[in-house]
Amino acid sequence: MSEALWVEKYRPKVLREMVNQEEIVSRLEQFVKAKAIPHLLFAGPPGTGKTTAALALARELYGEHWRENVLELNASDERGIQTIRLRVKDYARTMALGDVPYKLIILDEADNMTSDAQQALRRIMELYSRTARFCLIANYVSKIIEPIQSRCAVFRFQPLEREDVIERLKFIAEKEGVKVTESGLEAIWEISKGDLRRAINTLQAASALGTVDAKTVYRVVGRVTPEEIREMLLLALKGRFIEARECLRELLITYGLSGIDVIKMIHSEIMNPKIKLEIPDEARVELADIAGEINFRMVEGADEEIQLSAFLAKVALLGRKYRIG
Amino acid sequence: MSLPWVEKYRPKSLKDLVNQEEAKKKLLSWLESWSRGKPIKKAVLLYGPPGCGKTAIVHAIANDFNLEVVEVNASDFRTATALERTIARTIRERSLFGKRGKLALLDEVDGLSPLQDAGAIEAIVKIVEKSRIPTIMTANDPWDPRFRDLRNISLLIEMKKLNRRDIVTVLKRICLKEGIKVDTEVLRIIARRSRGDLRAAINDLQAIGEGRRVIRVEDLDILMPRASQLNMFEIVRTVLTAKTPEQAKSVLTLPSLDYQMLFHWISENLPYQYSESMEALAAAYDALSRADVYFGRIKRTQNWSLLSYALELMTAGVAVVPGKPRFRFVKYSFPQRLKLLSKMKETKKIRDSVLSIIAKKCHVSRAVANTEILPYIKIIYSENPEQGRKILKWLGISEDRFRSLS
Repeated sequence: MSEALWVEKYRPKVLREMVNQEEIVSRLEQFVKAKAIPHLLFAGPPGTGKTTAALALARELYGEHWRENVLELNASDERGIQTIRLRVKDYARTMALGDVPYKLIILDEADNMTSDAQQALRRIMELYSRTARFCLIANYVSKIIEPIQSRCAVFRFQPLEREDVIERLKFIAEKEGVKVTESGLEAIWEISKGDLRRAINTLQAASALGTVDAKTVYRVVGRVTPEEIREMLLLALKGRFIEARECLRELLITYGLSGIDVIKMIHSEIMNPKIKLEIPDEARVELADIAGEINFRMVEGADEEIQLSAFLAKVALLGRKYRIG
Repeated sequence: MSLPWVEKYRPKSLKDLVNQEEAKKKLLSWLESWSRGKPIKKAVLLYGPPGCGKTAIVHAIANDFNLEVVEVNASDFRTATALERTIARTIRERSLFGKRGKLALLDEVDGLSPLQDAGAIEAIVKIVEKSRIPTIMTANDPWDPRFRDLRNISLLIEMKKLNRRDIVTVLKRICLKEGIKVDTEVLRIIARRSRGDLRAAINDLQAIGEGRRVIRVEDLDILMPRASQLNMFEIVRTVLTAKTPEQAKSVLTLPSLDYQMLFHWISENLPYQYSESMEALAAAYDALSRADVYFGRIKRTQNWSLLSYALELMTAGVAVVPGKPRFRFVKYSFPQRLKLLSKMKETKKIRDSVLSIIAKKCHVSRAVANTEILPYIKIIYSENPEQGRKILKWLGISEDRFRSLS
């Protein structure tokens, strides 16, 4: 017996099943009805339904032939624009099946492309505009170059509302026969905010621990972020730099996290009021500032471990200033 | 390249080992207590500065007693279980040389990392208590609080830092055997540079004297920089202990310097040299971080004229910082991270293949799969294996493969 992850099992198959995003849904439905869609750019925070909308749109547009007519690429995983160009070319060369005269290319995490790659993408969009439509998905519109933005109909996905998220969680819990308490739902909302993917994953993981209440939810949360993150911060604050660096290496190598992943986790650890780092609030703000600077340098620089080591050394200095440890 | 002289001239017997009379006496009586069947303590913790002969004394005494040394370099193991397995196995294994007795050597126990080797110390204590063969551990600093349990089960034997005369004696002996004519003054200079580290002194002598018949003081002047060129340890030391930007930058003129390698070496060893001042450590790392930003820009734009800024930051910028601690001798090490990376290649391959499957099935990138999906599957699998297996089946990932993810 196999069992799907709930995020996939309960991913809406058609547009009208989508959680909220009503205006976007109704416009997309009009495109489907007219069988004419422009290039699309879906932008918004994680877990708000961008990929779901793209896939649902594809299903409705092509019906049973949707798989043959849709190419799904993830810009983060496809190395370089050349791969994209080749795959798109190969794909767009053949005629679309069915009564829609073009194919759909979904390019997820498009904001992870360098601006050079985006320039090239813009050319590709022009070259194949007769045979292919693009649906670009990104967290930030601002990271997409303007010439691409201007070629696309831009849709901004809003973070989901509390009621929407909780209602969806209740729906899934009921279908799955899982016991949830109000405090459990509240806790899931608290940690996921408008990110439905995270909310549903948390629900499923917490249900493996028993009744979904605040306790099980926070146990899950505590284990999703590797404990080394917190341990590393505390060691650095106490001035135990070398041990902190050992933790860092564990995170980068054993957990396979990227430097950006690590600094983001550090940031949410610092700023999460539920997790007490036992440092004064002004130190927390200073820490966040240091994290931001290192995040910036990491994007500019070449070596993540060195940047993060520099971060830890600054944290150690801060720890001294506030006499921690 | 012929055999390293440190190996070639490693003392074969206690009587060949210079100085350390006290340590020899204690070690002898301890080992004799074993042969009487009633050891004073089951283990010895041998401590002293680098290059004073800790490893050498163990091999020498083993030779004298005709014992086989089973050596485990503790810093190679990252978990207690791995350590336990290896030591237990080596101790259990029958000697290749018939019925010779055995002596276990756990070299560099202070190379154990306190975090990752959590449990390693307890593991060693357990092994020693069970073991029926004499065990010797070596360390630079035995007073680290985390060694408390080790100290309790061990006889502590100190080895002194060698003085210049001892070192000159050994160097002279080597020159005689190699047929090199050398002025004592040359050997004194080498000895002084080594700061009591005989291993470093022998390495220097070999770098200068290999293949020569005569060494004069002038040769030393010319050859010193080239000798240290072969040695990243010396280059790093030059940078980290430099008092002026010029001294620190001097290493950049060494021909065929691998500056990327140097970058890793500096980053690895900086915290050891600067550990006494957080202010200096943070400032030096900031310089490395800015150097790295230049490297990133060079990589992206191929603007190599930026290289000199990066190189200056990683040498002078690191060496000349406020609050820099006074010079003290610290042992440097090869960048652990390069070691780890090559070790972890296989793990990474497995991880990537698992992430690719999840990425495809859940319409996300591998990076998102790693942070937003995999951790939840792990929790489900560990809390409710039956449900976890169902999810793995749906993904098409075998249970074995999933479990091999650390």
